[in-house]
Amino acid sequence: MTTVDGRHELDREAERLAYKPPEIRHDKQGDLDSEERINKAMYNFVKNFNTQTASYLDGCLHCGMCADACHFHVRTDDPRYTPIWKIELFKRTYKRQVGPFAFFYRLLGLKRHVTIKDLEEWQHLLYDSCTVCGRCSLVCPMGIDIAGLVSMARHGMFKAGLVPHELHETAKRAAETGSPLGITPEKFEERVEWMADEHEVDIPLNVEQADVLAVMSSIEIQKYPESIAATAKILNAAGESWTFRTDGFEATNFGMLSGNPEWQKEASMKLINTAIKIGAKTLVLPECGHAYMAMRWMGANMYGKPLPFKVLHISEYLADALNTGKIKVGKVDKSVAYHDPCQVSRRGGATQAARDVLKHLGVDHREMKNGGDYNWCCGGGGGVITIKRADKLRHRVFKLKMDQVEETEADELLSSCANCRQSFDDSQEHFSWDYKMGSLMEMVAENLEEGTA
Amino acid sequence: MKYGPTVGEVLQAKGVSRRGFLKYCATTASLLALPPSMIPRIAAAIENARRPSVIWLSFQECTGCTESLTRSASPTVEGLIFDAISLDYHHTLQAAAGEQAEAARHAAMEENDGGYLVLVDGSIPTANAGYSTIAGISNVDMLMDTVKGAAAVVAIGSCAAFGGLPGADPNPTGAVGVQDLVKDKPVVNVPGCPPIPMVMTAVLAQFLTFGTIPDLDKHGRPLAFFGNTIHDRCYRRPFYEQGKFAETFDDEGAKAGWCLYKLGCKGPTTYNACATVKWNQGTSFPIESGHPCLGCSEPRFWDKGGFYQPLSTGHFGSGAKLGGAAVAGVALGVAAAAAGRRRQAKFTKEA
Amino acid sequence: MDLLEFARGPALQVAAYILVGGTLWRLIGIILLKEKPDFSEPRKSGGLPAALKVIWTRAFTADPFKKATLYPKMMAYVMHIGLFAVIFLFTPHIVFFEGWTGFDWPGLPNNVIYLLGVATVVSGIALLVRRLTSPVLKLISNFDDYFSWFVTMLPLVTGLLIPVRALFRYEDLLAIHILSVCLLLVWLPFGKLGHTFLVFITRGTTGMVFERRGAKT
Repeated sequence: MTTVDGRHELDREAERLAYKPPEIRHDKQGDLDSEERINKAMYNFVKNFNTQTASYLDGCLHCGMCADACHFHVRTDDPRYTPIWKIELFKRTYKRQVGPFAFFYRLLGLKRHVTIKDLEEWQHLLYDSCTVCGRCSLVCPMGIDIAGLVSMARHGMFKAGLVPHELHETAKRAAETGSPLGITPEKFEERVEWMADEHEVDIPLNVEQADVLAVMSSIEIQKYPESIAATAKILNAAGESWTFRTDGFEATNFGMLSGNPEWQKEASMKLINTAIKIGAKTLVLPECGHAYMAMRWMGANMYGKPLPFKVLHISEYLADALNTGKIKVGKVDKSVAYHDPCQVSRRGGATQAARDVLKHLGVDHREMKNGGDYNWCCGGGGGVITIKRADKLRHRVFKLKMDQVEETEADELLSSCANCRQSFDDSQEHFSWDYKMGSLMEMVAENLEEGTA
Repeated sequence: MKYGPTVGEVLQAKGVSRRGFLKYCATTASLLALPPSMIPRIAAAIENARRPSVIWLSFQECTGCTESLTRSASPTVEGLIFDAISLDYHHTLQAAAGEQAEAARHAAMEENDGGYLVLVDGSIPTANAGYSTIAGISNVDMLMDTVKGAAAVVAIGSCAAFGGLPGADPNPTGAVGVQDLVKDKPVVNVPGCPPIPMVMTAVLAQFLTFGTIPDLDKHGRPLAFFGNTIHDRCYRRPFYEQGKFAETFDDEGAKAGWCLYKLGCKGPTTYNACATVKWNQGTSFPIESGHPCLGCSEPRFWDKGGFYQPLSTGHFGSGAKLGGAAVAGVALGVAAAAAGRRRQAKFTKEA
Repeated sequence: MDLLEFARGPALQVAAYILVGGTLWRLIGIILLKEKPDFSEPRKSGGLPAALKVIWTRAFTADPFKKATLYPKMMAYVMHIGLFAVIFLFTPHIVFFEGWTGFDWPGLPNNVIYLLGVATVVSGIALLVRRLTSPVLKLISNFDDYFSWFVTMLPLVTGLLIPVRALFRYEDLLAIHILSVCLLLVWLPFGKLGHTFLVFITRGTTGMVFERRGAKT
């Protein structure tokens, strides 16, 4: 059997041996003309420049080490996937508009103004080939947070109407309905009732005042609804005063992923306002990576001041609860490989939490080689999994993940992010892989010991 | 031409043995980097040389060059050779004075027209003729007048070659060297403050032997003596390479004879024969005696940083100017940031 | 005024003014841009200690990335360490700095410095070849990269010509060497050689932000 080459498909219909020409899609939204798109991109690039970004954009040495850390480059050897190259337009704009020598850059034409062709070409680089996983940020000898710069650069692309269609539509749906998958409050309530019924668990909904506000991601609600029940079991066992709320249940933030800061703020504020309304002391985020980044580290800045409640990822909540004895779990006699979600562990700093949980579960935790904070990204984050045309690329890079997991020879594979889970499930099907991703939270819920409240 | 006894006859009369004379010719040949086969030719040339007429002009000088050349504890061959030239005019050494002296100069010029040597020590003031006159004649006038019929001009010492001490900043007398004024006669510079006596006489010997001036470097100095730097011939060079330097004049390094670079030695940029020929018949030279080379055979050596300032010191200019540059930089930075912010505000509105 | 006097005097002076002015211009131009306040609840303390930590640790590559980046990293180490040794541990240079700052320190023997200088040039050439042949570097490199390489290598090469006494007289070689240093000083604030001072800001900021999150730096 020939191996599947994820890059260019064979054209099996052609008379002689040929490859199908690669699809080059330059998705456009809106009816702005090229001039307007260029301006919008430029204005929204510029909006982001501050001392930190300026030092980053001024400090790049063109050493190319970031390419060696990026799964997209490593698996394709395509130099355009060099992380710092992805933000080249962003960098050029900085140097021309706001940098210390901007006047001279413009006067002497030392850097070209961004063209519409540039922006079209860069759509693929900024969206399809970056999961904002942050490995590049770790390797850069100048300490440049390249991944963060990609997120910022997307602001320009969004306002210029140059976002991959599926990602744009998903973000739009989230802005209009409150959920990227169009899950209305009614639908959510339905699912909650269904799960409460099916799993015979009490699930408080729309309680007026509670210490803990729990939220979910649409991916879980739609695809892995048992997460709802698992969350409830855990919070009940811990004896928390908690609730779900139909006026604030969506943890995902497609505004952040697609590059629309207004939509990002809206989504965050919805949760923040709900938490304040019910007097919550803690907001527990679900198994979702970027939700953690959006609320734990960026939420307060959307709010404009410190949040009046703690923000915890569910894995952090579990670690806390297990460490303090609020809940207890029975031992699970299995070997486990744990995939660290990029936004929770590497970028978010909550790496230790999952390890505490696994310790309490008594599993044989087989750390992956170069795992933990350095592990390979699942390839689906940053909105990439929504972009169909990026599937080939995403499957190609997933091989790194498969190798990394297989090396542990563990029985089970766990993670704590539903988007990673989606990415793993999709690739598992594509490659007929024998590892199926499980949820850390669900494993805890399944092994809760009675009488711990 | 006025003829007297030949140089050989004079030497013989003074009791110089044939052997002693040949030994001198051999040394001279060696110094001039000539093969041994040239020794007889040098000997013959000097022996049979008619004592050429030499007019020595002294301008703004300290007489150190003359002292160097004529000082001797016991009669030396060089000294005797000097006696063997017809020194027809020399302020310090001549017996005549006043009108008589000037008359002697003119007589020598007329009688040896086209064949006499002019030796000059001291710089020539050009700012005001009154700074230095001899018999009421300005230095410039005397120089230009005297060289008219000269075969060649030799500038003895750094003052005559490059302006020397009088020419040092701020050079109030407008002192210049011979080569800055005399353009139509061959000029040989024998700089040094003072020059090594043997170097002087070797140049004369070359002229006597071949009737030509030696090969010169870009500063008009004979390559035979000014072709290498002190640094490249210095016996302390290994210490330089090993990184062993005297830090003060009386520390252990100084006592051990280590390199004097850090004490301001200008050896690397100074071309002269001090490290090989040395002084006082090969007794020693400044570095060997523990003092860094001043670079005295180089143009404007008085103004090339202090004698005790190491060669690799930069001349940064005033701290005030540097402070000014800093202020300018800050101002530009503030302006750039302000412009950047303004642009940002403008774009944010339109974003 | 001969070439050496010009090089050591006015040329070096002007180069120093441009170095100081240009550096401050660039630094201030960056530092005075908008600040991004962070209201999130820190997991660990950030601040100056975090900045200093990452300024130090980022000089070393983390284990997972070592294999892929070994060759260029080693060449870069040789180049930087060699440059440091040649500039700061060569006695005539130390004397230069002493004249300027008043501080003195012991140097290495000259021959050791010459050897290190040669090693530095070799590593520089290796890095240039890599920049010209690697697909990634060919794509992302620009004039700044090549010119910065040139102005860094030139003082090394002209400096090595001096002990060899090649091509010109000593004082002219020295003058050319000093002028090549002036060129380096003049270019330094404006191109990527500015990483000399920017590195503290880029690594420091990342340190402060990510240490504060308790995230990997």
